[in-house]
Amino acid sequence: MAVRAVTLGEGLGERLRALANAYLMSALALVMISALLVFLVYPVVLVLYKSFEGDSGLTLRNYARFFSTPYYYRSLTNSLILATTTTLLTVAIGFGFAYMVTRGPRLIRMPFRLVALLPLVAPPYIFGIALIILGGRRGLFNQVFGTDLSLYGWPGVIFAQVVSFLPLCYLMIENVLTSLDQNLEDSASDLGAGQVQVLRTVTLPLIAPGLLRASLLVFILSIADFANPALLGGRLPFLAPDAFLMVVGAEYNLRMAAVLCVFLVVPSIVIFLVHHYCLAGKTYTTITGRSGAVEARRMTRLLQVPFTLLCVVMCGAILLPFGVVLMGAFTELVGINNALTLDHFKTSMGIRSVMTSLQVAIYAGVLTAIFGVLLAYVLVRGRVPGRSIVEFLALSGFAIPGTVVGIGYILAFNQPPIYLTGTLWIIVFSMVFRYMPVALEAGISKLAQIDISIEEASADLGASFLTTFRRVVLPLMITAFMAGLVYTFMTSMISLSAVIFLVSPGLDLASVYIFQLAQAGHLGIASAISVQMIGVVFLCLTVLWVIARRTGFRVIGTGKA
Amino acid sequence: MPEGPLLQFTGLVKRYGNVTAVDGVSAAISQGELVSFVGPSGCGKTTLLRMLGGFIRPDSGRIVLEGTDITAEPPNRRATAMVFQNYALFPHMYVADNIGYALRIRRRPRAEVARRVEELLRVVRLEGLGSRRPDQLSGGQQQRVALARALSLHPKVLLLDEPLSNLDANLRIMMRAEIKRLQRELQLTVVYVTHDQEEAMTISDRIAVMRAGRIQQVGTPSEIYERPATEFIAQFVGVVNFLEGEVVASGEAGAATVRTALGPLALRKSLAPLAAGDRVRLVIRPEAIRLAPPEEIAGPNRVLGKVESAMYTGALVRYGVDAGGSGLTVDLPDPRHARTYGEGDRVTLILPPDAHVLLSDEAT
Repeated sequence: MAVRAVTLGEGLGERLRALANAYLMSALALVMISALLVFLVYPVVLVLYKSFEGDSGLTLRNYARFFSTPYYYRSLTNSLILATTTTLLTVAIGFGFAYMVTRGPRLIRMPFRLVALLPLVAPPYIFGIALIILGGRRGLFNQVFGTDLSLYGWPGVIFAQVVSFLPLCYLMIENVLTSLDQNLEDSASDLGAGQVQVLRTVTLPLIAPGLLRASLLVFILSIADFANPALLGGRLPFLAPDAFLMVVGAEYNLRMAAVLCVFLVVPSIVIFLVHHYCLAGKTYTTITGRSGAVEARRMTRLLQVPFTLLCVVMCGAILLPFGVVLMGAFTELVGINNALTLDHFKTSMGIRSVMTSLQVAIYAGVLTAIFGVLLAYVLVRGRVPGRSIVEFLALSGFAIPGTVVGIGYILAFNQPPIYLTGTLWIIVFSMVFRYMPVALEAGISKLAQIDISIEEASADLGASFLTTFRRVVLPLMITAFMAGLVYTFMTSMISLSAVIFLVSPGLDLASVYIFQLAQAGHLGIASAISVQMIGVVFLCLTVLWVIARRTGFRVIGTGKA
Repeated sequence: MPEGPLLQFTGLVKRYGNVTAVDGVSAAISQGELVSFVGPSGCGKTTLLRMLGGFIRPDSGRIVLEGTDITAEPPNRRATAMVFQNYALFPHMYVADNIGYALRIRRRPRAEVARRVEELLRVVRLEGLGSRRPDQLSGGQQQRVALARALSLHPKVLLLDEPLSNLDANLRIMMRAEIKRLQRELQLTVVYVTHDQEEAMTISDRIAVMRAGRIQQVGTPSEIYERPATEFIAQFVGVVNFLEGEVVASGEAGAATVRTALGPLALRKSLAPLAAGDRVRLVIRPEAIRLAPPEEIAGPNRVLGKVESAMYTGALVRYGVDAGGSGLTVDLPDPRHARTYGEGDRVTLILPPDAHVLLSDEAT
């Protein structure tokens, strides 16, 4: 602590300033906690309430109906089976990529990494669209080979999910693998272990906590996923799409939708709790005394052949859909009329919806980053009572499936006192409070690295709280800010599950529009808008990347998902 | 056992981009010998060690262990064992499992592994700590575990990479003695890398001083200290005074008279054959110069000077003395039993007749 020389007059001024700072901090905390309660907790509680609502008072009848109707409870078991399968496959493949990129021959590192990250720029359902074009009942594959295979159902959904969730999973595992002290593996090999033995006895046990973390993330994403099961699920019931149909479809049943939502939320929250309380701090990966001369080891065939094979096949599986969607965008009807055309780009609805998405994503990105970083600051420095509860609430936004948020927002903001339905802001808010955890966590961990004495030094020199925050804290936290912004921007651009409930005529988002087109079978136009969307995301990323390059801030890869 | 060195490497080169980390290094190490590679950071000593361990493949050169070329062998097929700077203990295994790792990998019977682990724990004086986790041990204890683990397979050569740099000063001196004891008792052949010249001096049978990827000199600690081959080495292994001069007369058995800024200096002998006219640089350690009161100026190799600074360190007083415009550092050992001087005092400097001589053209 800095020792301050206090004379009487000075002391009074300083105490006043300290008081003002404390008030400012408290006011800030109050505003943000209220916002969290209104836009995150309240909607979810409403959904929960709805699930117990009967014609007269609270009841368990909705749950009884859920468990006595096979179609309903099968959506739960199906979703769980899907999430488990997707998780196992994604983590295995993610590990394969991460291992090759961090330990494999230098030549292949960059290309494998780029391909593994490529799905980040694409709306996840383009893999669905590509699959329909390729393997649908009238798809390219069946046209060419005269077969009658169907990708609808398990294989299609699982494939699309694995590809969609691979980038985040890969990034997490790569991060763990690079922060693993290379000397440990070297040491094992020095003691006589072959590469397979090193992998089995040292590498895998040491990154196990990281693998578990990645698994939990993929599980949450998979169970909450709406687009892929909706597009490719065929007749299979899954929680998220079924809940959607019960809200907007012919079988209107808001209470049963709420019950499905509860089953969507519960596994995610359980996993979130496990992650938050059991895994916190469990890690072996601290870099200590990293030696300068770490270089690629010659990989044994035993590892190189299967890993390379896996990666090459997956690269194909990732690149092919991009190619197919590109093709779909520029041909009349793939497989039936392969004439090149620009017709699919002619609809003005397409580019207008992309621009709306862009607008929403920018608003959401900036707001989320500001909110997340500010909240991090207030929580860490402000000594807010009940900090851990607030932090937990804020972070839990990540674990709440979009479908639940969407239905909750309909329930919450369709009437006074807060009437937001039909506005842009209901969409923006739904994103801000779901995606804020990334900015918040980045902010908290950054603040933990910033010594409070830097701030005290500034305050000592006579700077007010606001000046200190603006001149000292913000520049130091800009990486956390950017991480939150980029993550929210990219996720918002392609997000579907919550906003599909919240769009209104004249306020079409590209993701929703593409989804509706794909469902209706207008694959050409869906592909064309997807291509425009990928283009826009790519362009924005390039701009951000150039800014990052110029200013020296790391943008991509700083945040955690 | 074949005659000749146990470990021999010749012409080792490693480049990273256009930086040459190791630039043609050769050396031979005998059974039971402890050889240190010292040098400032970036001199290539760690890269060299990692090449010996098999972690880095040299761009050219050969490594021969007991007559067998092991240059292309991976670490797990070499009879070398490395102790890493940060110990690299497996954090997910108990101490005993760390030490027994190599034996378990080789599928030795469980009883044998247990017996050997006990034995090794005793050797490094860690009896009873086998069931701890590495992070429950102090730095010195972790170091001992790392040593025990490296010794578990009776390696032909033990490679130590800055093994003491993570310990605090007192512990470092203790572990230094411990490593020396183990090396003597177990007849270990050790390649020891450090940036600490004092550590190297006290522990080594021989020292190789490296700079910019090359070995500048190999020799016993006293050779390196007393007869450094280059100015760089002279400075690296201790405090030193350099005196420029020109040989004006040379006599038998290397005797010579050198004209310096302080006046003529008589040398009794020098290693290099000197001829009149040679430009030389004299290497004079601070403890080789003696001080006397100014009235004792009569005699050979004596010059008058004035004390500019005096620094008391306990074991010695270090003086900065100005002699006719040249600043000299002079150490006076055991100040309790010697006459000391204060700043501003006039003194007589008695320069040694056996100063080490570097020829100017090799003095780089």
